[in-house]
Amino acid sequence: MSIQSRSNPSDIPHMSDGQVWDQAFRNHSIHTCLMEMVLSLQQAVADHITQLATRHQQQDLVPEEQGHNQPIWGQEALLGRLMFQMVNHLQFGATGGQKFQPPCPSEDSKGDVRSREQAQVSKQIYKIFYQLTNFEDTSINYVLSNRGVETSALYHGSFQDYNTYQGNKYHEDKNTLGFINLGTSENKLCTDLLTERLSRSDMNYIDDDLLQYSDWRGQPFLREEVAQFLTYYCKAPAPLDPENVVVLNGCSSVFSALATVLCDPGEAFLVPTPTYSDFVFSAHLYAKVDLVPVDLESQVSDANTHPFQLTVDKLEQALLNAKLEGKKVRGLVLINPQNPLGHIYSQDSLMEYLEFAKKHSLHVIIDEIYMLSVFDESITFRSVLSMESLPDPNKTHMIWGTSKDFGISGFRFGTLYTHNKEVALAMSSFGYLHGISGITQYKLHRLLQDREWIDNVYLPTNHSRLQEAHRFITNELKSSKIPFLSHGSGLYVWISLRKYLDPCTFEEELLLHRRFLDKKLILSCGKTFMCKEPGWFRLVFAATPLLLKHAMQRFYTVLVEQEQDWVVKQLEDAINQEVEDLPASDASQSYSREVILTSGLEGCCSDLGL
Amino acid sequence: MPRPRPSSPYSARSPSPMFTLPQKESRKPTTCPGSVSTRGLHSIYGDGLEREAARKPDQKLLYGVGDPTAMFSSDSPHLSSRGSIIKWFWDSAEEGYRTYHMDEYDEDKNPGGIINLGTSENKLCFDLLSRRLSHSDMLRVEPSLLQYPDWRGHLFLREEVASFLSFYCKSPAPLKPENVVVLNGCASLFSALATVLCEVGEAFLIPAPYYGAITQHVYLYGNVRLVCVYLDSEVTGLETHPFQLTVDKLEMALQGAISEGVKVKGLILINPQNPLGDIYSPGELREYLEFAKRHALHVMVDEVYMLSVFEESVGYRSVLSLEGLPDPQKTHVMWATSKDFGMSGLRFGTLYTENQDVATAVASLCRYHGLSGFVQYQMAQLLRDRDWINQVYLPENHARLKAAHTYVSEELRAMGVPFLSHGAGFFIWVDLRKFLPEATFEEERLLWRRFLENKVLLSFGKAFECKEPGWFRLVFSDKAHRLRLGMQRIRQVLEGKSQVAEDPPSCQTQEPRGPHR
Repeated sequence: MSIQSRSNPSDIPHMSDGQVWDQAFRNHSIHTCLMEMVLSLQQAVADHITQLATRHQQQDLVPEEQGHNQPIWGQEALLGRLMFQMVNHLQFGATGGQKFQPPCPSEDSKGDVRSREQAQVSKQIYKIFYQLTNFEDTSINYVLSNRGVETSALYHGSFQDYNTYQGNKYHEDKNTLGFINLGTSENKLCTDLLTERLSRSDMNYIDDDLLQYSDWRGQPFLREEVAQFLTYYCKAPAPLDPENVVVLNGCSSVFSALATVLCDPGEAFLVPTPTYSDFVFSAHLYAKVDLVPVDLESQVSDANTHPFQLTVDKLEQALLNAKLEGKKVRGLVLINPQNPLGHIYSQDSLMEYLEFAKKHSLHVIIDEIYMLSVFDESITFRSVLSMESLPDPNKTHMIWGTSKDFGISGFRFGTLYTHNKEVALAMSSFGYLHGISGITQYKLHRLLQDREWIDNVYLPTNHSRLQEAHRFITNELKSSKIPFLSHGSGLYVWISLRKYLDPCTFEEELLLHRRFLDKKLILSCGKTFMCKEPGWFRLVFAATPLLLKHAMQRFYTVLVEQEQDWVVKQLEDAINQEVEDLPASDASQSYSREVILTSGLEGCCSDLGL
Repeated sequence: MPRPRPSSPYSARSPSPMFTLPQKESRKPTTCPGSVSTRGLHSIYGDGLEREAARKPDQKLLYGVGDPTAMFSSDSPHLSSRGSIIKWFWDSAEEGYRTYHMDEYDEDKNPGGIINLGTSENKLCFDLLSRRLSHSDMLRVEPSLLQYPDWRGHLFLREEVASFLSFYCKSPAPLKPENVVVLNGCASLFSALATVLCEVGEAFLIPAPYYGAITQHVYLYGNVRLVCVYLDSEVTGLETHPFQLTVDKLEMALQGAISEGVKVKGLILINPQNPLGDIYSPGELREYLEFAKRHALHVMVDEVYMLSVFEESVGYRSVLSLEGLPDPQKTHVMWATSKDFGMSGLRFGTLYTENQDVATAVASLCRYHGLSGFVQYQMAQLLRDRDWINQVYLPENHARLKAAHTYVSEELRAMGVPFLSHGAGFFIWVDLRKFLPEATFEEERLLWRRFLENKVLLSFGKAFECKEPGWFRLVFSDKAHRLRLGMQRIRQVLEGKSQVAEDPPSCQTQEPRGPHR
């Protein structure tokens, strides 16, 4: 049956034939693309109905059979995904308009209205979808709130690749054709060390206290350990106070809770971009806080001594613009070592940023989650907690966790250090919602306590493995003349594939991203980091040498294909140009030409913006 | 004090007559002192009058719309408006626990410390649990457990949860792993459900008294309010027991909320109930579900005490056991190991819903409510071990709960203190109204503080939004020596206290009291 062949969910994100989609994206704008999706959706719906009808007939024969059978589930998944994809395109397009293209004042000033409209749109689409899936019971209305719909859509749009990967992971023996994920920033180089350490008998302690409710800020023994740990590794001038420590289940949770207690809905944080994409979600999903990008540029100039340099001028400018747009900015978010750039802020620049924040009485949230992943010894990282005197200690909040530095993201541990008791107390309320199991807290406490293992075994090994993997990747990139940024910290390199994009747009970036996906390679594209310039990708290298080698093979295959297609396209364009000698010479796309010809407005194409 | 940012949706006040939050010290109770009459519900007034009465001053007694912003006003230079409210939550709710944590009772080290009979935890079976969790099968460390998970929970755990719930909830058909979402406790689940089912400022109905922390869970991120359906200790009309929930009361509260312009999206039921220890019969449950269906409301059934029914005669039925739910797409079941396995510190909770959209939307928020891969592994091992659960843990747990319950209820009887208890849960709902010189929440709080000063922590009725001052929840699931000491301390306070209260002619608890008692 033709329907069943499409019900395999792994086919869906890039359709049965990735090439077809690529072509579609290449030739048309996002709107055309959406139109095509609608058409395929229509087809899918028709198929679905046919399927349902057949099922009803079957059910007449077997009346007891209830619920959906497998192919139908598959189809519903397909429908749902298509819908969500479309919603995502709509939203991505809209935010893109705000963030990456020349500002359009009428749009920006009505930000709230627009987001409400967007939600309405999602809701309507959702409603259709819902009615489809509940074919037999159309009396039920939609069930989710607008924000519920939006949450789902955002999540699906953003974690689609990740979910695809979860369902079809590469395995060196069992699944050599599975996805290789160099998109998620996880350190998989030291699982052997951690598995060994966490299996030791001291980890398996169970106590009544661990099974009961405890202090919602975190078990006192863990907060003490965290304070000592940070005092030591951040080289704090004076011992840090356990009372200033809040422990939650992950840095996303810490950020989400912190955003909530520092901002009211609709208020904003400044954030230098490109930036870690998770903050974009965490600010938005629960907290409904906006991020105002401070766009950095790759071009080196007088003001930019290195690519993507953050300067106080740029901060001032972004803050001013935000104010002009009526945004209330409450804080500045910094990531140090930076993600995805791998930068480290010098102590002087850090101090400048903090002074800037103080001047405008902004909070500063500093995420130092990669602080122990500085593997190049020539680089000195200085934690904000190491500073002798902070310009505004009551508004400086530091986040750290074990996910990256210890490669245990599955542990769900993040911590806040703040001198501000009020903030710490307000955060405590979130212990209910972001609490960590007592057993896990105990294990973490043992892990952080074991300085000898950390200093003599874990960190040296981890750093040398990171160095090695980094060397491999950077050599590969150099030999294939792909520009990249990397500064000896973090788990990733920030690479420029701009020369493979023609034209250099976010659409092309997305297409290239899909090409990688077709070859079962996941990278993160620059747009998800709110990068202003299309063509940047983040490549995570903290994986085993074998995996990296395979990944790079796939990587090259895609780039070679991309180049070939480019040549073909050039040729085609040239031929088209000769065959159809049109008056409107700047309208090079066949799609545009069609519109112009049919509407008889040959001369006005440039006015129409085509 | 005026709110600083009137445009914030958090300051949108409603004209609500009642709040569903623990009150500040200085606040005068909004209920008429001692007026416990349930005129609004008396059948003798007939239907039309009843509705009328509901709109008159007695309205306050039937329902109340919560509005956390209305009660808080001081602002901080460092926090947002909602941040200040959130901090206030913490400050006010934690008073008792802070005092307790600074002076915890310890048999050897601090025999004069505070005994905690306020927190609903089962402390009777730590020996069994520690032993089970230390078994070698619990200690596996696998690389996949160290990495980012599927945010709905590892599949191995969801499969185990589905089969566990199928078995213990006696579901007519096997439950499906794809309908399960795993997260770090039911508090998180309330937060996520509130967010994905309601817009800012919308509300859930909840019969009161109820487990008060839910107010905070649905507010913190969701900014969702609770509309209390007030229940009475007095048995009237066709009712068969105190604090009975009826569809009439649900209707009344819903209509009341609607008339105030509050949009109600769902109904929260706790079964077995906390703090009453009530169990809804399948018939009652179905009526409530039908009511919800009629008004297109979601129903969240919190069954976190389902295996803590220690009285076998009670005959508890999970909502998952019902054949043909009125509205399966809007029925969402919550369960956790906090109570039934006495592991509140473990932070494991789960949602079961047939509605894939709800499951997916909740899972989208699980990034913020994840639990460690190790703990997921251990939970799967635990839930899988039916032999241990059925032959060791449950029989022993029930026997211990029963013994503790027997002891405490006998003590209370000996003291002449009326109480409610139905053989489920860890607590007894104690009627100390006759020990209050005046039927006000201030007096209730004073009595509570006297207990605390005498080193025993209880929970007062106001924290459960009980509308009658003088009820306390007493947790009995503690070790015998602590329980004995705790009861002694309670007795000391009440005996000292009842002397004082003897002066005015004391009333019988189950009789309506005059307004100036």
